[in-house]
Amino acid sequence: MVEVNKEMKEGITAWAKFYKKGMGYFAFAFHRLSGLVILFYLYLHYTVLSNLLRGQATYNAIVKSITYGPYDSFLVLDFLLALVIFYHGANGVRLALNEFGIGMYHHKALFITFEIIAMVLLGLFDYYALQFVGVGF
Amino acid sequence: MADEYEFEIKRKDESGKVYYSTYKVPKDKISTVLEGLLYIKENLDQSLSFRYSCRMEICGSCGMEIDGKPRMACSTIVEDLKKDHIKIEPLKHYKVIRDLVVDIDPFFDKYREVKPYIIRDDDGKYDKELPQTPEQFHEYANFAMCIKCGLCMAACPIEGSDPNYLGPAPLAAAWRYIADNRDQGAKYRVEVVDGEEGTSRCHFAGECTEVCPKGVDPSFAIQKLRRTALKIEIASIFGGR
Repeated sequence: MVEVNKEMKEGITAWAKFYKKGMGYFAFAFHRLSGLVILFYLYLHYTVLSNLLRGQATYNAIVKSITYGPYDSFLVLDFLLALVIFYHGANGVRLALNEFGIGMYHHKALFITFEIIAMVLLGLFDYYALQFVGVGF
Repeated sequence: MADEYEFEIKRKDESGKVYYSTYKVPKDKISTVLEGLLYIKENLDQSLSFRYSCRMEICGSCGMEIDGKPRMACSTIVEDLKKDHIKIEPLKHYKVIRDLVVDIDPFFDKYREVKPYIIRDDDGKYDKELPQTPEQFHEYANFAMCIKCGLCMAACPIEGSDPNYLGPAPLAAAWRYIADNRDQGAKYRVEVVDGEEGTSRCHFAGECTEVCPKGVDPSFAIQKLRRTALKIEIASIFGGR
Protein backbone atom coordinates (compact mmCIF):
# COMPACT_ATOMS: atom_id res chain seq x y z
CA MET A 1 0.00 0.00 0.00
CA VAL A 2 1.04 3.57 -0.64
CA GLU A 3 2.87 5.38 2.14
CA VAL A 4 0.52 8.16 3.19
CA ASN A 5 1.43 11.38 4.93
CA LYS A 6 -0.81 11.76 7.98
CA GLU A 7 -0.75 15.55 7.56
CA MET A 8 -3.35 14.95 4.85
CA LYS A 9 -5.82 13.76 7.42
CA GLU A 10 -8.55 16.25 8.18
CA GLY A 11 -10.29 14.20 10.87
CA ILE A 12 -13.84 12.88 11.12
CA THR A 13 -15.21 16.42 11.04
CA ALA A 14 -14.23 16.63 7.35
CA TRP A 15 -17.61 15.31 6.26
CA ALA A 16 -19.52 17.85 8.35
CA LYS A 17 -18.45 20.88 6.30
CA PHE A 18 -21.24 21.96 4.00
CA TYR A 19 -19.97 25.25 2.54
CA LYS A 20 -20.00 25.21 -1.28
CA LYS A 21 -21.03 21.54 -1.42
CA GLY A 22 -23.49 19.91 -3.81
CA MET A 23 -26.71 17.98 -3.23
CA GLY A 24 -24.93 14.62 -3.22
CA TYR A 25 -22.77 15.83 -0.38
CA PHE A 26 -25.78 16.81 1.71
CA ALA A 27 -27.29 13.38 1.04
CA PHE A 28 -24.04 11.76 2.17
CA ALA A 29 -23.53 13.90 5.29
CA PHE A 30 -27.12 13.59 6.52
CA HIS A 31 -27.04 9.86 5.80
CA ARG A 32 -24.12 9.56 8.24
CA LEU A 33 -25.70 11.87 10.78
CA SER A 34 -29.02 10.02 10.64
CA GLY A 35 -27.15 6.71 10.92
CA LEU A 36 -25.51 7.91 14.14
CA VAL A 37 -28.90 9.03 15.52
CA ILE A 38 -30.40 5.60 14.70
CA LEU A 39 -27.45 3.86 16.35
CA PHE A 40 -27.88 6.03 19.47
CA TYR A 41 -31.61 5.23 19.52
CA LEU A 42 -30.91 1.49 19.21
CA TYR A 43 -28.92 1.51 22.45
CA LEU A 44 -31.48 3.78 24.13
CA HIS A 45 -34.15 1.28 23.08
CA TYR A 46 -32.15 -1.58 24.58
CA THR A 47 -31.80 0.40 27.82
CA VAL A 48 -35.58 0.94 28.05
CA LEU A 49 -36.28 -2.70 27.16
CA SER A 50 -33.82 -3.87 29.83
CA ASN A 51 -36.35 -2.59 32.40
CA LEU A 52 -38.36 -5.74 31.64
CA LEU A 53 -35.85 -7.46 33.90
CA ARG A 54 -37.22 -5.33 36.76
CA GLY A 55 -40.72 -6.72 36.28
CA GLN A 56 -43.83 -6.09 34.19
CA ALA A 57 -45.20 -3.33 36.44
CA THR A 58 -41.97 -1.30 36.33
CA TYR A 59 -41.69 -1.58 32.57
CA ASN A 60 -45.35 -0.65 31.99
CA ALA A 61 -44.98 2.36 34.30
CA ILE A 62 -41.99 3.61 32.29
CA VAL A 63 -43.75 3.17 28.93
CA LYS A 64 -46.89 4.86 30.29
CA SER A 65 -44.89 7.81 31.66
CA ILE A 66 -43.29 8.34 28.26
CA THR A 67 -46.54 7.94 26.30
CA TYR A 68 -49.12 9.69 28.51
CA GLY A 69 -47.09 11.75 30.98
CA PRO A 70 -45.37 13.10 32.90
CA TYR A 71 -42.61 12.53 30.31
CA ASP A 72 -44.81 12.57 27.18
CA SER A 73 -42.64 15.33 25.67
CA PHE A 74 -40.41 12.40 24.61
CA LEU A 75 -43.04 11.73 21.93
CA VAL A 76 -41.67 14.72 20.01
CA LEU A 77 -38.34 12.90 19.88
CA ASP A 78 -40.18 9.85 18.53
CA PHE A 79 -41.43 11.92 15.61
CA LEU A 80 -37.93 13.26 14.99
CA LEU A 81 -36.67 9.69 15.11
CA ALA A 82 -39.27 8.70 12.51
CA LEU A 83 -38.07 11.56 10.28
CA VAL A 84 -34.47 10.36 10.57
CA ILE A 85 -35.39 6.72 9.87
CA PHE A 86 -37.51 7.57 6.83
CA TYR A 87 -34.75 9.81 5.45
CA HIS A 88 -32.04 7.22 6.08
CA GLY A 89 -34.12 4.37 4.66
CA ALA A 90 -35.02 6.22 1.46
CA ASN A 91 -31.46 7.34 0.80
CA GLY A 92 -30.21 3.85 1.67
CA VAL A 93 -32.44 2.30 -0.99
CA ARG A 94 -31.21 4.90 -3.49
CA LEU A 95 -27.57 4.10 -2.66
CA ALA A 96 -28.18 0.34 -2.93
CA LEU A 97 -29.78 0.80 -6.37
CA ASN A 98 -26.88 3.00 -7.50
CA GLU A 99 -24.35 0.45 -6.30
CA PHE A 100 -26.09 -2.18 -8.41
CA GLY A 101 -25.73 0.19 -11.34
CA ILE A 102 -29.39 1.25 -11.43
CA GLY A 103 -30.21 4.93 -11.92
CA MET A 104 -26.61 6.14 -11.82
CA TYR A 105 -27.18 8.70 -14.57
CA HIS A 106 -30.05 10.18 -12.56
CA HIS A 107 -28.89 9.75 -8.98
CA LYS A 108 -29.84 13.28 -7.94
CA ALA A 109 -33.36 12.93 -9.37
CA LEU A 110 -33.56 9.53 -7.71
CA PHE A 111 -32.56 11.08 -4.37
CA ILE A 112 -35.25 13.79 -4.63
CA THR A 113 -37.91 11.26 -5.71
CA PHE A 114 -37.11 8.80 -2.92
CA GLU A 115 -37.05 11.53 -0.29
CA ILE A 116 -40.40 12.96 -1.46
CA ILE A 117 -41.93 9.45 -1.24
CA ALA A 118 -40.33 8.98 2.20
CA MET A 119 -41.72 12.28 3.48
CA VAL A 120 -45.24 11.43 2.23
CA LEU A 121 -44.99 8.07 4.04
CA LEU A 122 -43.67 9.90 7.10
CA GLY A 123 -46.73 12.16 7.03
CA LEU A 124 -49.03 9.10 6.96
CA PHE A 125 -47.02 7.49 9.74
CA ASP A 126 -47.25 10.62 11.89
CA TYR A 127 -51.00 10.88 11.28
CA TYR A 128 -51.70 7.29 12.38
CA ALA A 129 -49.22 7.55 15.27
CA LEU A 130 -51.06 10.60 16.62
CA GLN A 131 -54.39 8.81 16.22
CA PHE A 132 -52.90 5.91 18.19
CA VAL A 133 -51.90 8.08 21.15
CA GLY A 134 -55.30 9.76 21.11
CA VAL A 135 -54.62 13.09 19.39
CA GLY A 136 -57.54 13.58 17.02
CA PHE A 137 -57.84 15.83 13.98
CA MET B 1 -18.48 48.11 -6.37
CA ALA B 2 -14.80 48.68 -5.72
CA ASP B 3 -12.31 48.79 -8.60
CA GLU B 4 -10.01 46.33 -6.84
CA TYR B 5 -10.26 42.70 -5.79
CA GLU B 6 -8.98 41.70 -2.39
CA PHE B 7 -7.04 38.41 -2.52
CA GLU B 8 -6.72 36.82 0.92
CA ILE B 9 -4.13 34.05 0.61
CA LYS B 10 -3.17 31.39 3.12
CA ARG B 11 0.61 31.26 3.43
CA LYS B 12 3.09 28.87 4.97
CA ASP B 13 6.74 29.83 5.27
CA GLU B 14 9.83 27.62 5.52
CA SER B 15 9.58 27.50 9.32
CA GLY B 16 6.07 26.04 9.03
CA LYS B 17 4.34 29.20 10.27
CA VAL B 18 0.85 29.60 8.79
CA TYR B 19 -0.68 33.04 8.24
CA TYR B 20 -2.86 34.99 5.80
CA SER B 21 -1.72 37.79 3.48
CA THR B 22 -4.14 40.16 1.80
CA TYR B 23 -3.41 41.91 -1.52
CA LYS B 24 -5.35 44.42 -3.56
CA VAL B 25 -5.48 43.59 -7.27
CA PRO B 26 -6.93 46.05 -9.83
CA LYS B 27 -9.97 44.59 -11.60
CA ASP B 28 -8.96 45.90 -15.02
CA LYS B 29 -5.63 44.03 -14.93
CA ILE B 30 -6.85 40.46 -14.49
CA SER B 31 -9.62 38.09 -15.48
CA THR B 32 -8.67 34.74 -13.93
CA VAL B 33 -7.49 33.89 -10.42
CA LEU B 34 -4.14 32.75 -11.84
CA GLU B 35 -3.69 36.15 -13.49
CA GLY B 36 -4.42 37.72 -10.12
CA LEU B 37 -1.75 35.59 -8.46
CA LEU B 38 0.73 36.44 -11.21
CA TYR B 39 -0.08 40.15 -10.76
CA ILE B 40 0.69 39.81 -7.04
CA LYS B 41 3.90 37.89 -7.76
CA GLU B 42 5.12 40.45 -10.31
CA ASN B 43 4.00 43.66 -8.60
CA LEU B 44 3.29 43.18 -4.90
CA ASP B 45 5.04 40.20 -3.31
CA GLN B 46 7.68 38.10 -5.04
CA SER B 47 7.77 35.65 -2.14
CA LEU B 48 4.30 34.25 -2.92
CA SER B 49 4.60 30.64 -4.12
CA PHE B 50 2.14 28.78 -6.32
CA ARG B 51 2.36 26.15 -9.03
CA TYR B 52 1.19 26.69 -12.61
CA SER B 53 2.24 25.89 -16.16
CA CYS B 54 -0.05 25.78 -19.20
CA ARG B 55 -2.60 28.46 -18.14
CA MET B 56 -5.30 26.66 -20.12
CA GLU B 57 -6.61 23.85 -17.90
CA ILE B 58 -4.55 21.12 -19.51
CA CYS B 59 -1.55 20.56 -17.25
CA GLY B 60 -3.51 20.29 -13.99
CA SER B 61 -0.89 22.21 -12.00
CA CYS B 62 -2.74 25.18 -10.51
CA GLY B 63 -5.37 23.45 -8.37
CA MET B 64 -6.18 25.31 -5.17
CA GLU B 65 -9.09 26.06 -2.83
CA ILE B 66 -10.71 29.18 -4.24
CA ASP B 67 -13.63 30.60 -2.28
CA GLY B 68 -13.97 27.37 -0.32
CA LYS B 69 -14.00 25.00 -3.28
CA PRO B 70 -11.22 23.15 -5.14
CA ARG B 71 -10.79 24.81 -8.54
CA MET B 72 -8.19 25.43 -11.22
CA ALA B 73 -6.79 28.96 -10.82
CA CYS B 74 -6.28 29.28 -14.58
CA SER B 75 -9.90 28.63 -15.51
CA THR B 76 -11.63 30.35 -12.61
CA ILE B 77 -12.89 33.73 -13.78
CA VAL B 78 -12.78 36.09 -10.80
CA GLU B 79 -15.89 37.95 -11.95
CA ASP B 80 -17.87 34.68 -11.89
CA LEU B 81 -17.24 34.37 -8.15
CA LYS B 82 -19.47 37.44 -7.75
CA LYS B 83 -17.49 38.92 -4.86
CA ASP B 84 -14.60 41.30 -4.37
CA HIS B 85 -12.97 39.42 -1.49
CA ILE B 86 -11.44 36.16 -2.74
CA LYS B 87 -10.09 33.67 -0.23
CA ILE B 88 -7.43 31.32 -1.59
CA GLU B 89 -5.96 28.34 0.25
CA PRO B 90 -3.86 25.32 -0.73
CA LEU B 91 -5.70 22.13 -1.67
CA LYS B 92 -6.98 20.14 1.28
CA HIS B 93 -5.78 16.60 1.98
CA TYR B 94 -2.28 17.32 0.68
CA LYS B 95 0.84 18.25 2.60
CA VAL B 96 1.59 21.94 2.07
CA ILE B 97 5.17 22.59 0.96
CA ARG B 98 4.94 26.37 0.83
CA ASP B 99 2.05 28.84 0.43
CA LEU B 100 -0.23 27.36 -2.26
CA VAL B 101 2.20 24.63 -3.35
CA VAL B 102 1.26 21.15 -2.15
CA ASP B 103 3.06 17.81 -2.33
CA ILE B 104 1.17 15.77 -4.92
CA ASP B 105 3.47 12.72 -4.76
CA PRO B 106 1.07 10.65 -2.59
CA PHE B 107 -1.63 11.25 -5.20
CA PHE B 108 0.55 9.91 -8.02
CA ASP B 109 1.66 6.99 -5.83
CA LYS B 110 -2.00 6.05 -5.44
CA TYR B 111 -2.53 6.57 -9.16
CA ARG B 112 0.23 4.09 -9.98
CA GLU B 113 -1.37 1.51 -7.67
CA VAL B 114 -4.23 0.91 -10.12
CA LYS B 115 -1.88 0.16 -13.06
CA PRO B 116 -3.06 3.00 -15.33
CA TYR B 117 -1.99 1.50 -18.64
CA ILE B 118 -3.16 -1.15 -21.10
CA ILE B 119 -2.39 -4.65 -19.86
CA ARG B 120 -2.45 -7.50 -22.37
CA ASP B 121 -2.33 -11.25 -21.78
CA ASP B 122 -0.13 -11.46 -24.90
CA ASP B 123 2.25 -8.94 -23.28
CA GLY B 124 1.75 -6.53 -26.18
CA LYS B 125 3.06 -9.02 -28.78
CA TYR B 126 -0.06 -8.98 -30.99
CA ASP B 127 0.45 -9.28 -34.74
CA LYS B 128 -2.57 -7.27 -35.92
CA GLU B 129 -4.04 -3.98 -34.79
CA LEU B 130 -6.63 -3.93 -32.04
CA PRO B 131 -9.83 -2.49 -33.52
CA GLN B 132 -12.12 -0.21 -31.54
CA THR B 133 -15.56 0.99 -32.56
CA PRO B 134 -16.79 4.51 -31.68
CA GLU B 135 -19.17 2.90 -29.14
CA GLN B 136 -16.26 1.10 -27.47
CA PHE B 137 -14.29 4.35 -27.42
CA HIS B 138 -17.15 6.20 -25.73
CA GLU B 139 -17.23 3.58 -22.96
CA TYR B 140 -14.09 5.15 -21.47
CA ALA B 141 -13.69 8.48 -23.29
CA ASN B 142 -15.07 10.57 -20.40
CA PHE B 143 -12.57 9.07 -17.94
CA ALA B 144 -9.66 9.57 -20.32
CA MET B 145 -10.21 13.35 -20.01
CA CYS B 146 -8.67 13.36 -16.52
CA ILE B 147 -5.75 15.84 -16.29
CA LYS B 148 -4.62 14.52 -12.88
CA CYS B 149 -5.08 17.88 -11.19
CA GLY B 150 -6.11 16.15 -7.97
CA LEU B 151 -9.05 18.47 -7.23
CA CYS B 152 -11.29 15.44 -6.68
CA MET B 153 -8.94 14.15 -3.98
CA ALA B 154 -9.25 17.50 -2.18
CA ALA B 155 -13.04 17.52 -2.49
CA CYS B 156 -13.60 13.92 -1.34
CA PRO B 157 -14.72 13.86 2.33
CA ILE B 158 -13.47 10.28 2.72
CA GLU B 159 -9.95 11.36 1.71
CA GLY B 160 -10.14 13.80 4.61
CA SER B 161 -10.95 11.17 7.21
CA ASP B 162 -9.03 8.23 5.70
CA PRO B 163 -5.87 9.23 3.79
CA ASN B 164 -5.27 5.58 2.85
CA TYR B 165 -8.38 5.57 0.64
CA LEU B 166 -7.28 5.31 -3.00
CA GLY B 167 -9.50 8.21 -3.99
CA PRO B 168 -11.64 9.27 -6.94
CA ALA B 169 -9.02 9.94 -9.64
CA PRO B 170 -7.10 6.65 -9.25
CA LEU B 171 -10.35 4.67 -9.17
CA ALA B 172 -11.66 6.52 -12.23
CA ALA B 173 -8.36 5.70 -13.96
CA ALA B 174 -8.84 2.03 -13.07
CA TRP B 175 -12.25 2.10 -14.68
CA ARG B 176 -10.90 4.01 -17.72
CA TYR B 177 -8.61 1.05 -18.51
CA ILE B 178 -11.02 -1.71 -17.48
CA ALA B 179 -13.66 -0.19 -19.79
CA ASP B 180 -11.18 -0.13 -22.69
CA ASN B 181 -11.86 -3.14 -24.95
CA ARG B 182 -8.11 -3.50 -25.70
CA ASP B 183 -7.28 -4.02 -22.03
CA GLN B 184 -7.20 -7.41 -20.29
CA GLY B 185 -5.95 -6.25 -16.89
CA ALA B 186 -9.22 -6.03 -14.94
CA LYS B 187 -8.36 -9.14 -12.92
CA TYR B 188 -5.15 -7.48 -11.68
CA ARG B 189 -6.72 -4.10 -10.93
CA VAL B 190 -9.62 -5.63 -9.03
CA GLU B 191 -7.19 -6.84 -6.37
CA VAL B 192 -6.37 -3.18 -5.66
CA VAL B 193 -9.66 -1.39 -6.26
CA ASP B 194 -11.77 -3.98 -4.43
CA GLY B 195 -9.41 -4.02 -1.44
CA GLU B 196 -9.94 -2.48 1.97
CA GLU B 197 -8.98 1.01 0.77
CA GLY B 198 -10.75 0.80 -2.57
CA THR B 199 -14.30 1.25 -3.80
CA SER B 200 -15.90 0.12 -0.54
CA ARG B 201 -14.64 3.32 1.11
CA CYS B 202 -16.67 5.48 -1.31
CA HIS B 203 -19.99 6.70 0.13
CA PHE B 204 -21.16 8.41 -3.03
CA ALA B 205 -21.05 12.02 -1.84
CA GLY B 206 -20.37 12.93 -5.47
CA GLU B 207 -18.16 15.95 -4.70
CA CYS B 208 -15.41 14.55 -6.96
CA THR B 209 -17.76 14.83 -9.92
CA GLU B 210 -18.95 18.29 -8.82
CA VAL B 211 -15.45 19.82 -8.79
CA CYS B 212 -13.86 18.10 -11.81
CA PRO B 213 -12.85 20.86 -14.25
CA LYS B 214 -12.93 18.45 -17.21
CA GLY B 215 -16.37 16.96 -16.55
CA VAL B 216 -15.04 13.53 -15.60
CA ASP B 217 -17.45 11.53 -13.43
CA PRO B 218 -15.35 9.55 -10.92
CA SER B 219 -18.33 8.69 -8.67
CA PHE B 220 -19.98 6.99 -11.68
CA ALA B 221 -16.75 5.10 -12.41
CA ILE B 222 -16.54 3.87 -8.81
CA GLN B 223 -20.08 2.42 -8.95
CA LYS B 224 -19.21 0.69 -12.25
CA LEU B 225 -16.02 -0.66 -10.67
CA ARG B 226 -18.00 -2.12 -7.79
CA ARG B 227 -20.21 -4.09 -10.15
CA THR B 228 -17.26 -5.26 -12.25
CA ALA B 229 -15.29 -6.27 -9.15
CA LEU B 230 -18.28 -8.23 -7.86
CA LYS B 231 -18.61 -10.08 -11.19
CA ILE B 232 -14.91 -10.97 -11.20
CA GLU B 233 -14.94 -12.07 -7.55
CA ILE B 234 -18.00 -14.28 -8.14
CA ALA B 235 -16.41 -15.73 -11.30
CA SER B 236 -13.22 -16.50 -9.35
CA ILE B 237 -15.25 -18.51 -6.80
CA PHE B 238 -16.40 -20.73 -9.65
CA GLY B 239 -12.89 -21.10 -11.04
CA GLY B 240 -13.02 -18.36 -13.68
CA ARG B 241 -10.69 -15.32 -13.93
